[in-house]
Amino acid sequence: MKRNLLWRGLLILSIFAAAVAAAFPLDKKINLGLDLQGGMHLVLQVHTEDAVRAETDGDLGLMLQQAQKESLPVTGRRISDTAFEITGVTPESRDKISDLYDKYLQGGWDSDIRPDRATFTMKPQYVDQTRKLAVSQAKQTIWNRIDAFGVGEMTVQESSNNRIVIQLPGVDDPVRVRNLIKNTAFLEFRIVRNGPFPNRQAALASLGNPPSGDAEILPEDVRDKADASKILETVYWVVDKQRTVTGRDLKNARPSRGQLSEPIVEFSLNPQGAEKFADLTGNNIGKPLAIVLDGRIVSAPRINARIRDSGIIEGGFTEESAQDLSTVLRSGALPAAITYLEERTVGPSLGRDSVEKGLLAGLVGTALVVLYMLIIYNLSGLNAVLALALNIVLLFGGLAAFGAALTLPGIAGVILTIGMAVDANVLVFERIREELHAGRTVRSAIDLGYEKALSSIVDGNVTTLIAALFLFQFGTGPIRGFAVTLTIGLLASMFTAVFVSRWMFDLVLSRFRIQKLSI
Amino acid sequence: MELLRDTNIDFMKYRKFWIIVSLVLVGIGLFAIFFHGKLNVGIDFAGGTQLNLQFRDKPEVDRLRSILAGVGLGDATIQRFGAEDENEALIRTRLVEGKTEGSRDVIVAALNKAYNADQPAGKVDVNGVGAESVAALLFAADPDNRKVQGEDAARAHYEDVAGKMMAKRRDVGLFTSWNDLSGVPGVSPQAVSALQQRATLGAFTVTGTENVGPQIGSELRKQGFWAVALSLLGMLVYIWIRFELRFGVGAIMACIHDVLVTLGLFALFGFEFNLTTIAAFLTLIGYSVNDTVVIFDRIRENMRKSRRKPLIDIMNESINQTLSRTILTGGSTLLALAALLWLGGDVIRGFAFVMLVGILVGTYSSIYVASPFALLWEQYFAVKGERRAAPARTDAEAQPVRR
Repeated sequence: MKRNLLWRGLLILSIFAAAVAAAFPLDKKINLGLDLQGGMHLVLQVHTEDAVRAETDGDLGLMLQQAQKESLPVTGRRISDTAFEITGVTPESRDKISDLYDKYLQGGWDSDIRPDRATFTMKPQYVDQTRKLAVSQAKQTIWNRIDAFGVGEMTVQESSNNRIVIQLPGVDDPVRVRNLIKNTAFLEFRIVRNGPFPNRQAALASLGNPPSGDAEILPEDVRDKADASKILETVYWVVDKQRTVTGRDLKNARPSRGQLSEPIVEFSLNPQGAEKFADLTGNNIGKPLAIVLDGRIVSAPRINARIRDSGIIEGGFTEESAQDLSTVLRSGALPAAITYLEERTVGPSLGRDSVEKGLLAGLVGTALVVLYMLIIYNLSGLNAVLALALNIVLLFGGLAAFGAALTLPGIAGVILTIGMAVDANVLVFERIREELHAGRTVRSAIDLGYEKALSSIVDGNVTTLIAALFLFQFGTGPIRGFAVTLTIGLLASMFTAVFVSRWMFDLVLSRFRIQKLSI
Repeated sequence: MELLRDTNIDFMKYRKFWIIVSLVLVGIGLFAIFFHGKLNVGIDFAGGTQLNLQFRDKPEVDRLRSILAGVGLGDATIQRFGAEDENEALIRTRLVEGKTEGSRDVIVAALNKAYNADQPAGKVDVNGVGAESVAALLFAADPDNRKVQGEDAARAHYEDVAGKMMAKRRDVGLFTSWNDLSGVPGVSPQAVSALQQRATLGAFTVTGTENVGPQIGSELRKQGFWAVALSLLGMLVYIWIRFELRFGVGAIMACIHDVLVTLGLFALFGFEFNLTTIAAFLTLIGYSVNDTVVIFDRIRENMRKSRRKPLIDIMNESINQTLSRTILTGGSTLLALAALLWLGGDVIRGFAFVMLVGILVGTYSSIYVASPFALLWEQYFAVKGERRAAPARTDAEAQPVRR
């Protein structure tokens, strides 16, 4: 019996020690959820159809290019996101088209080649693959962007249905981060034909009638020199439709300062880009070159000489916008458009407020329960209070061990666990009282009390556990935190209220001869 | 201290009366949920935008309402929240087709126009941006003359200064004047005056935002429904296995009763129904079933002990035996929840309310709903199965105990 007590005591002590080691110091070991710490939670939808369409366009372009090399007089067009057709096929060129298909498209496309036309449809598994790739590329790009912004610990995860979930604890400028992530920053260089015009109509008129198909009109916001965020007017330029050099050709971009120490962005091009850029600028000396960002002209400086591999973008940047544009250009383009499905930000002051209130409520709640137990059960109440204290330590140890974050609903879960943890003690103690009233000795009343209360405790806790598990399965974010807290709390309370509290009784009974139990 | 000892109350005597009372309560609950107060569905499930704002001066709800009336986001809900002296307000707009993603910006722009009209346009609002932007501003101005030590050292210095300023902002919520910044250790008067020249202090700050699109809203609705439905089913199956079907049915009836009555009161009080509330309801279900199971456990034990006794007497006996436990446990949980309700703040209040009401209703239902329904189920199937058309007592007696 004595030895048994010792072993049980050692087991309890080692579990207690493990929990303490895992949980303390609390502020280092317990992760606070975004709702308590402040931060950002974003759910993004990646519009993967964009990437699929781009893939279709790319392969259509490839086919046309190869057909041109073979001097086949064919034309082509995309007929849906996942299919394109080549028209102008003759019985003679049919075999060549078929050869080109075998050579370039066979892996990802199904073909239907007829005497006068050929239709190519993307294979379903290739569509899936393209979508998946787009999501993981988007994830990587977003990661690079946030990382460059210097947010600290963050998680960027792919989720089902082509979604990306981003958690950024402690972000203090959510608006900027949000815009940074979503920024497409599609950079292109176009040769200017004519302009600027004060309005779109005037620009349109200069295109002639019918308007020529290889030019288009793009707007430029003219900004105040002293204050870059102020837009003075919007003017319109006529530019070449053809884009030869784009953001994909960039090697690097960084914020810098111009001659008047105004913020600018410096960029350099990779070898292929430099080649194209040299041709573009060399052939158009004297003309303005439009630097276009997301369909708006940022600036249109005159080309003075052939430029090879580097340049600057100036035109109304603020310190921040120059920094952010560089980041986005460096991180590469998003493979598809994204939209925000869900966005939650909690400011640090709001979060801190919640922690303070939650802590206060927790302390007061615990104190009330402790007092209650001592009043109702006297010294046995002390037993329950000690078990409860261990329960709380185990709960925090469990939270730390599982790396689960403590959220606001989680704090509610802790308080609720405290309230319910005493239920097991109450069940046992009431049972002991009953047995004592029935005239049993202290020893056998305690034994019987624990024995008979056990099935109630287990059944009650298991049913609540079932609710907690479903909560975990279906819940998101803070709710999961609550479910985890509740589950750990229930398991811990079964251990402390049955095993530990019983051990304490046994320990006391083995040392002292107790005639009348204080209960 | 012992409150109750050897009580002998005939709980089951008026069971028909209590079943009617329970049905009436459920009816009132349903009426409140669907017709009267209607459930105040939060943006988690309905979709929409919510902004927590802190103002320099006391925000007037009417003024906010008129500002937001013009932005085309439909009816906005505007509430004061937090402590009276903290000048906080909460704005919630419903989902407007195609506008969810931008509504935050629309609202902030409208508020800026109204509240910050006197501020010079285009300057950085120190109450609105993060440490990095402030650091960049300071770096450009270099009020502490650090650039002589090199750019990197200067950048590090101003990042540090900006960090300290933002930590101060975390404490006060928003800066009401530049003087708030002067006292911050590590921030030089030159740095403050440099900021004063290059930046502004807006009259409000956004302390939190939530933006839930229509897809997420409907997904969360579905998830919430399934979480509740499946956990009810899971518990029914567990009790069915551990006890008998009739007890499972009784426990689930008690549960549904608790949920509907609490939900009704919740609707009457106009609390917001959101994700946290779902958590509260699931906990309430867990608690209510736990409470019921303890009584059923005793019934099972007593059934084994005295096989010849009518079920209704066993029920009465068991409820009396566990009565003291039922009240004591309810009391301790209520104490913890009362602390949560009074001190936990606005966000947790809805949760605490559900649990508080739920525990009162749950305690009532484990006595007056669960057992009567288990008995009723018994009688109903006994009659249906055309066994003996006997009163419940003898019927229960004839029913062999399975375990």
